[in-house]
Amino acid sequence: MTNYKIIFTGPVGAGKTTAISSICDRPPVSTDKIASDMTRDVKKTTTVACDYGTVHLSGNDRLHLYGTPGQERFDFMWDILTSGGIGLILLLDNTRPNPFQDMNFFLDQFQDFIKQTQVAIGVTQMDRKPVPCIDDYHNHLSKQGLSIPIFDVDARKRYDVSLLIKALLFSLDPGLIENND
Amino acid sequence: MDNLTRPVKIAALGMEQRTYSTLQLFFHEHCKDSYVLVEENSADISIIDMDGFQARRMLEEHKKHYPNQPSILISLSNEKTCDAVYIRKPIMLEALSSALLKAKERLQQPIAKTSTLKMPVTEIGSQLHMTTSNPEAIAPLLLNNIVHSLPKTTKPVKSGSRHFNQYQYSANFLTEDADLEHIDSKLAENFNPDNPIQVAKFQYQSEQMLQGYFQQAYFSALQKQQNVLLKGVWRPITILHKSKQLRVEKNFRHLYALSGMLFDKSDVSITMLDNSVGCEPGLHETVLPAEPFLWKLAMRTSRGRVPVDTNFTTPIKLIRWPNFTRTIITPHALRIAALWAKQPTSLMDTANYLAVPLQHVFMFYTAAVSLNFVVPAITKKNHSTVVALPPVKRHRYRKIFQNLLESLRNN
Repeated sequence: MTNYKIIFTGPVGAGKTTAISSICDRPPVSTDKIASDMTRDVKKTTTVACDYGTVHLSGNDRLHLYGTPGQERFDFMWDILTSGGIGLILLLDNTRPNPFQDMNFFLDQFQDFIKQTQVAIGVTQMDRKPVPCIDDYHNHLSKQGLSIPIFDVDARKRYDVSLLIKALLFSLDPGLIENND
Repeated sequence: MDNLTRPVKIAALGMEQRTYSTLQLFFHEHCKDSYVLVEENSADISIIDMDGFQARRMLEEHKKHYPNQPSILISLSNEKTCDAVYIRKPIMLEALSSALLKAKERLQQPIAKTSTLKMPVTEIGSQLHMTTSNPEAIAPLLLNNIVHSLPKTTKPVKSGSRHFNQYQYSANFLTEDADLEHIDSKLAENFNPDNPIQVAKFQYQSEQMLQGYFQQAYFSALQKQQNVLLKGVWRPITILHKSKQLRVEKNFRHLYALSGMLFDKSDVSITMLDNSVGCEPGLHETVLPAEPFLWKLAMRTSRGRVPVDTNFTTPIKLIRWPNFTRTIITPHALRIAALWAKQPTSLMDTANYLAVPLQHVFMFYTAAVSLNFVVPAITKKNHSTVVALPPVKRHRYRKIFQNLLESLRNN
């Protein structure tokens, strides 16, 4: 059996745990704890180690989905988490005070990993706060000469998360063939 | 029979939803509701699409049940088999208006006469192109100027006459699914970009179509930071620049049905609005995001073609990914987008490298270029095109990625 992994990262409340849950075979192992710091203003629990889920592939291969803790004080784990990863999914919460700052922060933190692989970005909570819009994110990225897939995502919807992963895979290898893409 | 001071009731039989909606729009907008669409059993006049799969049987049944009801038969063929007013497709406005008047005249004749007399066959209109020489007098709406690519539609149509599901094969408009069926695939397989005759078949004049007018209005709104009103034969469309949204009639889907039609500039107006007005939708209006609307409109206008002046061999670069979770994904769109983001590639090379039908590349390109998501890859120094790089290398994990794609699809 060979194991591969995709990393889900992003700020607190962006929907990493939910996204992993919506895509993996069985309920993910979560290390969520009752939030005791400023995170509790955002949500009741927060991930302190990592989320973990799997997708079973044919031929006994398995894809592991790892979610990083959103809090920066756990960023020491990121390098360990990304080791051996095939790509990065960055989820951003549009209701946060400065989602562009979040985006820059995570793209910067994971820049070495992204250089070796690829990244796809999902913006969540756009139904609650539609501004900035997807176009604004692209404009922000284009100033840095980046063309990254960015989609409006509902982390609870398997279709949305699945599409984000597909965009990541095709970015890694456009020659991939998928029926009915 | 009354003297028809009330609206004339029309049954549209054997038509699919979009044709039905277009008729609805025509009666409402241009006939000022003097005609209304109703079910067959309460109609004064019937309009029957004779190119449907079982149209002849439907006509026989109709004549059996409603022998005195005047009929307008529309068809691609010249064949005339019964007493009716005939219109040849594609339907011209003049022809339709004239046919309606003739049918109305027949309707106003005493029933005894119409039931016993053989009515003469009347043919109206056989021209292939629309002219709006007098747009004030002639309703500037063409029901069908799509003269090629009859779709093999399979999707059931929800509303309209009771014949919808039974007679859904229509020679008029493409259905949602059939948008992906377009130009003859054999023609595309043998496409030679150096052959001007072939090139002409794969190109269209977007600027004379709703797509082009909408693009012009939308980008004017964004550039000038002002709301814009787009008017034509359709209900007014207000473009709200700040939110990148549209204010349109609730039944906005008829706009897509207009995607294949050419409109004269004189019939269309683009007006800059004061930003303080036009943001709140009216009672019969709704608000839509502009980008998915334009994407879909361009996709439907394209039907596997590209706008004129498109260069088939210049490498294309993707500068912005479409928001695929909220727009229609054309076939192979993710692969094409990923390729053009990674490495500028011409339309022809894209089809070869990805081994996908050329029409699918064209359709994605047309939708993407309508929103300026793609640009020709030009070097800044000499404005010459970038020489295409060697094909993107196969990823060492391709097999795993294939497995994962399969898994995502199956689950």
